[in-house]
Amino acid sequence: MKLPRLPASALAAPLAALAAVLALGGCAGNPRLHEAREFAAESAKLGGFADLTQRFRDTYQREQPYLSPAADQRERAEDARRRAAYPDLMAIHEAVLLYMQTLGKLAGGDTFDLKEPLKAMGAGIKAWPDTGLTDRHVNAYSGLAQLLARSVTSPYQERAVQAMVRDGDQQLQALLEAMQNLLRYYDKSSDNERDIVLGMLEVEIAYADTPRDRLLAALAKSHRLAKRNEYRLIGLRHTLAAKHVAAIAAAHAVLVQHMAQDGKPDATGGQAGQQARAALRASAAAVADESSIAAAAAAASQ
Amino acid sequence: MNQPASPAVTASAFETLADSLSACADELHLRIMKAIRRNPPGGPAREPQTDPTTQAALTGLPQPDPAQAAPLSSPPNGNLELGISHGAAQALFENEVALRQRANSLYVDAALLAASGLRVPERTLLDLVAVARRRIRNAGMLKDLIGITADMLGLAAALAAGKPEHLPGVVESIKDRYARLKEDRAG
Repeated sequence: MKLPRLPASALAAPLAALAAVLALGGCAGNPRLHEAREFAAESAKLGGFADLTQRFRDTYQREQPYLSPAADQRERAEDARRRAAYPDLMAIHEAVLLYMQTLGKLAGGDTFDLKEPLKAMGAGIKAWPDTGLTDRHVNAYSGLAQLLARSVTSPYQERAVQAMVRDGDQQLQALLEAMQNLLRYYDKSSDNERDIVLGMLEVEIAYADTPRDRLLAALAKSHRLAKRNEYRLIGLRHTLAAKHVAAIAAAHAVLVQHMAQDGKPDATGGQAGQQARAALRASAAAVADESSIAAAAAAASQ
Repeated sequence: MNQPASPAVTASAFETLADSLSACADELHLRIMKAIRRNPPGGPAREPQTDPTTQAALTGLPQPDPAQAAPLSSPPNGNLELGISHGAAQALFENEVALRQRANSLYVDAALLAASGLRVPERTLLDLVAVARRRIRNAGMLKDLIGITADMLGLAAALAAGKPEHLPGVVESIKDRYARLKEDRAG
C-alpha cells in the first residue's frame, strides 16, 4: 500500500469541491424512513404466531391422556400430519419475519449513517495540531463531508425502502392473509381439543361424584377448572394474534402509500395512516403483554 | 374426507365441513350431559342399557363412522329422558370425540392447503430480502471506505506533524478495515 505524502495544505483542496456538490441539495430528517422503521419494529413479533403454530403441532401431546384407545389410534395419524405440516407453516412465518427484520435494517437509523466514520475523519486530522490546519478547517471539512454523505445516501436509502415495500406488498399481503387463516384453523382445532379434554372430564366427573370417589371428584373438578382457564387463555391469544396480523397488513398497505408520495408532504391519507399505526401499536402491545392477556381472560370469565 | 386435496377443493370448503362436524359434536355433547343430569341423584341409572356401542367403547373396538352418529335426535334407546348408564355415556362421548377428531383432521387439510399455495409469494419475498441485504452490505462497505480514508488522513497528518512513532497504530487500523471490507465482499 502506498501512503500518500500529503502536505497539509492539500487537505483544504477538497473543501471547494464539497461545497459545490452540496449546492445540489441536502436532505433533512426523514419521516418516511422513520415510519418504515417503526412499522418493522411493531410487526416483528407477528403476534406469537410461532408459539401458536408450535402449540398446534403439539395437540396430541396434550390430548393423549384423555383419549380412549380407539381415539388415541386415530389421533396418532393426525399427529403425524400436523408434525409433517409444521415446517411449511413455520416457513411462512420465517419469510415474513425475515422481511420485517430486513426492512427495519434497511430503513435503520445507523445503517446508512456515515456520521460516525466522518467524525473519525475529522478527529484524525484534529489529533495533529502541528499540521497547519486550524480547527476551523477541520470542522468545515468534516461538516461538509457529512452533509454530502447524507444528501447522497438518504435518497438512496429511501428509494431502496420504497422499492422493497412496493414490490413486497402483494406477496406480504398473501402471506399475512394465510397467517390469519391458519390462526383461525388453530383456534377452531384448539376448541375441539378443549371440548375433548373438558368433555371427558365432565362426563367422568358426573359418575365419580359419589361418596366413595370424593377425592377423585375433587381432584378432577380442580383439574377441570385449571384446564378451562388454560383454554380460555389460548383462545384469547389466537384472537389477539389474528388481530395483530390484520393490523400489520393494514399498516403495510398504508406504508406503501406513504412511501409512494415521493417528497410530498403527508397530505392525503394522513389520518388513515395514523389510525393504522395506532392500531398496530395497540395490537403489538396487547400481544406482548402477557399480563393483559391474563387479565382479559379473567374478565371474560366473569 | 381425508383424501389429498384436489385443486377444486378450497381450504374454506374444508373449513366449512369441519365447522359443521364440530357443531354436530357440540349438539351431541349437550344431549349426553342432559341425559346424565336426568340420572337419579347419588348414582347413574341402575340398569345397564342394552346399548351395543357400550361394549365397543369399553373394549376399545373401532368406533362406528361418525356419519352414523348423526341421527342423534333419536337415541338408540329412546329413553335418554330417564338417564344414562356410565358405559352408554362413554360410548356416546366416544362418538363425540370421533366427530371432533374428524373435524380437526379437516382443519389440518385446510392448513396444508393454505400453506402449499404460498410457495411463490414466499420466494418472491425472500428475493426482496436478498436484494435489501445486499444494499445494506454495500452501505457497510461505504462506511468502511470512509473509515479507511479517515485513517489515511490521520496517517498523512501524523507524517506532516513529524510524529512517525504513531504510525504503527494507524497502519494496524487500516489493515483491520481492509480485512473487514474483504469479508463483506466475500459474503
